[in-house]
Amino acid sequence: MSESIFKLVDELPKDNLTVKSLQALDFVIPGEWKNLVGFENTIRTVTGETDEDMIQQIGDRAVYLFNDKSQGYQTALWLYQTIDSAGSALGTAALANKIGENVGFLSFLGNITPKADKAQSIDLSLKVIVELLAFCQINGLPGDSIGDFLGALGDYGGESLMRMAALVCFDGLLPLGPDFILSVGDRLGQMQPSDLKENQAFNKISDFIPGGNPAGKLSFIGESFGSVSSWMGNFVSDRGLTPQLVAHNLSKYVEIADDKLDYVAAFLDMSTNYYEHTGIQTLAHRLIERAVAEI
Amino acid sequence: MVKSLRKLVTVGLLSILLFVGITACSPQPPSRFDQTQQESTQKGVKAVDKKSEQGSSFNQFFPKSGAGYDRVYTQEKKGFAEAKLKKDGKDMAMMAISDTINTPSAAAKFEKSTTKIAGFPSVQQGSTATAVLVGDRFQVKILSRSPDFTVSDRETWLAKFDLNGLARLKS
Repeated sequence: MSESIFKLVDELPKDNLTVKSLQALDFVIPGEWKNLVGFENTIRTVTGETDEDMIQQIGDRAVYLFNDKSQGYQTALWLYQTIDSAGSALGTAALANKIGENVGFLSFLGNITPKADKAQSIDLSLKVIVELLAFCQINGLPGDSIGDFLGALGDYGGESLMRMAALVCFDGLLPLGPDFILSVGDRLGQMQPSDLKENQAFNKISDFIPGGNPAGKLSFIGESFGSVSSWMGNFVSDRGLTPQLVAHNLSKYVEIADDKLDYVAAFLDMSTNYYEHTGIQTLAHRLIERAVAEI
Repeated sequence: MVKSLRKLVTVGLLSILLFVGITACSPQPPSRFDQTQQESTQKGVKAVDKKSEQGSSFNQFFPKSGAGYDRVYTQEKKGFAEAKLKKDGKDMAMMAISDTINTPSAAAKFEKSTTKIAGFPSVQQGSTATAVLVGDRFQVKILSRSPDFTVSDRETWLAKFDLNGLARLKS
């Protein structure tokens, strides 16, 4: 049996390397993300409700909804967790007894191997796919038109927007440089289905990716990445984001060497789980919003 | 003397270790949601009944954008649809329609209702919500997300739903 939603939210870390790294991105989306942890605390914050009986009812309904597998919430959780754990297992093992500390980047330098650009391109585009799939599992397809659906996607805020900011900064700009959108698009265009099959993350989530055979899945991945490219491009240019700017802000929270950005990216990939962390926060948020409206 | 002191210290240390050990390994304090977790994970228990109305059939009854407010659909699940009301980019309220076939107690609370909105029984719930029950089955609810969105705003916007249309949905 999977874990309860309240335990997952109660056990979210208040402060660790993932949290510090995300806090370092506050300059990208000022004030949008606070590290909201604790199930009851989340109910109170999301709904503004103070009545104890109401809080109990909201929580009870959210628990029921999460545990009904047909509702998609557990699939979304699995997707968020799986895309994060696809990073090197080294990170978890090496950092297990250093949780909460400002773990030294330099002390791990010897253990870090930056990903090849091809692997990083696939990982980035798979994270985009996971976001899309998890969104649909959690929210369905809101509204009656494509416009309504795009409106729902465009309404990203809070922890969901932070997840996207981290995607752009930690999986795009840092490892692949300022032109990452173009280069990833190009690489995807040149890829063969066999390239995907070599990718650990792809093999794990492959069943959830539409497209039938690997060739169809590859083209779905390419199209999905293409469809969010302009959003990502605007996100970067509106804020004047550069790899150096991201590294500079990151260095205020985490000890890094900002002349080795691909190493920094690999270090973050190994040692953080921002998709899972913010994904659980998104799940809790949406479940609670639905629960309070249904009771 | 020294020997017995040492013994005393050893016994003392051991008992402290034992105590710390037990505390560290003891299970987490019970949660107020433990019982629900147990109930909801029993075999065959569902949160959403197969016979629930599709969320997509609720969309058409929502009020449209207007009067400075933008309507953004946010969720559409079986038995449930929700949209957000925004003003100047700020979240003002959530609007939702749900099928109470999944939440009988949600429908039951209207039995005590003494007020009506557009002819349908209404209730205030907690400090942020106002709801009506349509056709004894569908709950339409508005939840304030800003103190500027008052009880009377909720009532105004509830009346903007096509409640009569929704009542006819029950076939």
